[in-house]
Amino acid sequence: MDERKDHLWKVAQEAEERIEDLMKAGSNPVGLDVGTSKVVAAKRKGKEIDTGAQLNAFIPVPWSRFTETILGQNEISYYRENDELIIYGSATEKFANMFNANVRRPMADGLINPKERFAMPVLEAILQTLVPKARAQGEILAFSVPAATEGHEAQLTYHEATLRRYFESLGYKPVAINEGLAVIFSELEDNNFTGIGISCGGGMCNVTLAYLSIPSMMFSIPKGGDFIDDSVGSVTGEQATRVKVIKEEGLDLSKQPKDKYEKALRIYYEDLIESLVEKLKTSISQADKLPRADRPLPIVLSGGTAKPRGFKEMFEKALSARSLPVAVSGVRMASDPLTATARGALIAALYEK
Amino acid sequence: MGADTKRTVRTGSVGRRPVPTRSEPEEFLHALESVSNGIRDPVAKLRFIRNSLGRYQSLDRVVRSVPLAPLRRALYHWLSLEGLRHLRDTQVLAGSPMPVDVATHVSLAFGRAAVIGLGLALGVWAGVAAYRHTRPPAEPLMAAPRRVAAPAALAPVTDPASSAVEKAAPGSLTTAGVAPAAIWLVEKGPQWELYSNGLRIDTALTVKGTSRAFRVFDLEGNLDAHVYKAPVGLLFHTSESDVWPLEAAYNENLRGTSQGLLRYVQKNRLYHYVIDRFGRVYRIVAEDSKANHAGNSVWANAGRVYLNLNHAFLGVSFETRWEGGKALPITQAQLAAGRNISDYLRHRYQIAPEMCVTHGLTSVNPKKHLIGHHMDWARGFPFAVFGLPDQYQRPAPSVALFGFDYDDDFLKVLDQPWPGVRTAEADLAREAARAHRDVEDVRYQRQTAYDRWIEKQAGDDGEKTEPPAAAGEVSGDTQGALGRAAASTSRPEGLQ
Repeated sequence: MDERKDHLWKVAQEAEERIEDLMKAGSNPVGLDVGTSKVVAAKRKGKEIDTGAQLNAFIPVPWSRFTETILGQNEISYYRENDELIIYGSATEKFANMFNANVRRPMADGLINPKERFAMPVLEAILQTLVPKARAQGEILAFSVPAATEGHEAQLTYHEATLRRYFESLGYKPVAINEGLAVIFSELEDNNFTGIGISCGGGMCNVTLAYLSIPSMMFSIPKGGDFIDDSVGSVTGEQATRVKVIKEEGLDLSKQPKDKYEKALRIYYEDLIESLVEKLKTSISQADKLPRADRPLPIVLSGGTAKPRGFKEMFEKALSARSLPVAVSGVRMASDPLTATARGALIAALYEK
Repeated sequence: MGADTKRTVRTGSVGRRPVPTRSEPEEFLHALESVSNGIRDPVAKLRFIRNSLGRYQSLDRVVRSVPLAPLRRALYHWLSLEGLRHLRDTQVLAGSPMPVDVATHVSLAFGRAAVIGLGLALGVWAGVAAYRHTRPPAEPLMAAPRRVAAPAALAPVTDPASSAVEKAAPGSLTTAGVAPAAIWLVEKGPQWELYSNGLRIDTALTVKGTSRAFRVFDLEGNLDAHVYKAPVGLLFHTSESDVWPLEAAYNENLRGTSQGLLRYVQKNRLYHYVIDRFGRVYRIVAEDSKANHAGNSVWANAGRVYLNLNHAFLGVSFETRWEGGKALPITQAQLAAGRNISDYLRHRYQIAPEMCVTHGLTSVNPKKHLIGHHMDWARGFPFAVFGLPDQYQRPAPSVALFGFDYDDDFLKVLDQPWPGVRTAEADLAREAARAHRDVEDVRYQRQTAYDRWIEKQAGDDGEKTEPPAAAGEVSGDTQGALGRAAASTSRPEGLQ
């Protein structure tokens, strides 16, 4: 299969960022957020950090010469798999809405989707649009991995090892970094990397408590944007892909719901946040090696699922309803919730260099 | 929904370093954070923190041994700052060569300067210690107090040279060889003078002082109308400075101590002449100026009485310590030079031999009417070697004329007063017996006379010496004035 698809891979014109430009800067470390919903790359460009993202999704369509010609003319990322054309990356969502079908994901719950036969080929294709072969052998690439959920440790090992092997094949020296810690690296510099970083992605929410950059406690819950989309879709009879569009078109959790979709979205957001805060409380309570913090810890929220307006307030409300074992100085959103993990991974890569 | 999850610290290579737990000192972490706050680049900051935590155990092992908390905190802070230095050469996010704020830059510079300073100080200290370690073990004698506690504590200077001189027959230095018919200036250079008796005077340090001018009492207490400008006596002193063994190994110490003494004498205009341990004669205060060498003092000869001898007498000091006078504390070179300078001055100013005396024989405490206020050469001066009469046998003028006494401290040093004191006391006793008076009455009467005389002189010669009142008769104001007077005429500590 690999031999046949190589010549078909293209760089999508509609990619949210022109990653190839990003990579022209030369051999530099790369930070990569390999999320269930999106893959985000970060790279140093002068004194700034440049980021690029791809939707981590695909949709197969039946092959026809006409379809393939149209895709090629519009520079849609795709490859042919027998009698199917696999459309992947950011164009996938448009096609899913067009065909009123749900997108398929190479990853589920933060890990490579074991139930998806196209998981690795599609994921590799998507990754290659963001991360071409290393120009210098041994270039550092830091990629995010979630904290393991109970009973899925082996899956995490497989996930991490598979990605590591793939990046090595591209000439990189891969380094895995916990997703919550990456958020701390990118957002809590002013606190000397001390605090709680939370990344709410498509497949799960990752939480890490670090003191002076050293992680002391981390966990994840298998609830994220996909959980909300699927749950809302199931109770409203709407496609999850459509629910996602509604969600991202301007959901405001601080206001009263206008329709059944927003009502359902609010219910499942509350469920996610309650689960997250409750788990945060129990995890800190049960932690046996927490360092003594002489001042309250900040909490920073990131990830696409945390983007809707009112998410922070809902989180604070849930937090205030519980008594955490550690004092919290405040809750804030990441400066750019979608790229926080990738930027943190880049800092980790630069640190390792 | 609510699926179970698990805590883990498995994060690949970015999360492996140890972090100090709550049982370990917070001082290190506070120092680490205070320095970290000054770093403006996230990568540099992360690298600094991780490296510091990595070095924590080795650092802490050293710093924990420091007992003082402020010093320990300063050390942690400095060590944290030192951890920043590697950032100069490492890659950071912003590409800045040193992404720290101004305050941290200043701290870095100050810390390095402090370390360099400390290093230099330690280096100097180590050098001095090493040098001293190579020297034979010996300590300089410390400056003696005005009154020495007990004779037993006074270890005589065991200088082989001086011991040899002590055993030499009186006058032995002058009997051999050809003596010059007179003493004249043979040659003079920009900073020296050479005289016919071999005396060489170093004049490089000579300074002028207050011009000499003094009047003299007769035995009735009348001040002579004539104001004298030339010296009429010699007063021999010891410098009471540190004394090092006269050995080549201590050459540097010997030279250094002498130079320090000369500077001190010059600054305070203490003596007209100083003779160092190698017999070099330095003129410090010009001969036509008074020197602050005698303080409250009394001497008399040929019907003339001299009170406070700074003006009337030239001061000649030997660089040594008297130490009770049980051994001759000067070197052979000093002895020869002392004889030469004595001959020269006596010749030049026609000074009578009876007017050559030591400080210890003349010094008095005017307030308490005690002799021996300073005691250098109160015993043991080799008058015979200097061709001078033994002044220890001469009735002490301060006792005979003014009824001065001595106390237990005096006896602790000398065991017993010199013979001249005994003679004067016997004279006083005889006089009291003749007058059918108590000897203490006689003493009191004469002490009162001294007070009047000294008051008269103070008003006359501008010595600014306040008249001391008889003990028990002074008012509060007078007592204060006496205190000031004593301060104004006291010699600096460490020198007598």
